[in-house]
Amino acid sequence: CSRLHNRPTTSPTIVLANMYQRPDMITPGVDAQGQPIDPEKMQEHFEDFYEDIYEELSKFGEVETLNVCDNLADHMIGNVYVQFREEEQAVAAHNALQGRFYSGRPIIVEYSPVTDFREATCR
Amino acid sequence: RSRSKSKRVSGFDMAPPPQAVVPQFPTIPTPSQFPGTTIPAMF
Repeated sequence: CSRLHNRPTTSPTIVLANMYQRPDMITPGVDAQGQPIDPEKMQEHFEDFYEDIYEELSKFGEVETLNVCDNLADHMIGNVYVQFREEEQAVAAHNALQGRFYSGRPIIVEYSPVTDFREATCR
Repeated sequence: RSRSKSKRVSGFDMAPPPQAVVPQFPTIPTPSQFPGTTIPAMF
């Protein structure tokens, strides 16, 4: 992948860069203190995050697709892709989320060209 | 999922603790401080 992605000026899809932080992001399977993490806790952590995102984003319109990257590779790590039914809903979300925080970290929001996640692969 | 359980506090609008703010907003270098004078076109 050249990493030179198309960045549209508007789109029904927004991407929240590096927003999901796995509890074991430093070393797989263990937390920042070096303690093993129960896989159930990992799942719960992910579901809580997903629920937060879904509830907040639903305020701006109908969320068609919500994809959270929980991979540990550096590329696309923690990216959250939110596709709205209507482009203006994505614009409202984009504008409203700029400058806000999530769990003590700034939210970085951009438009994404992805409209079909089955076909969305980065080569 | 059931909505009956009490809702956790959402992580939205949870600002960083004051001491964490500083490293997240580093001083932006002035143009004279950049190592290169030109950035090659990326097409």
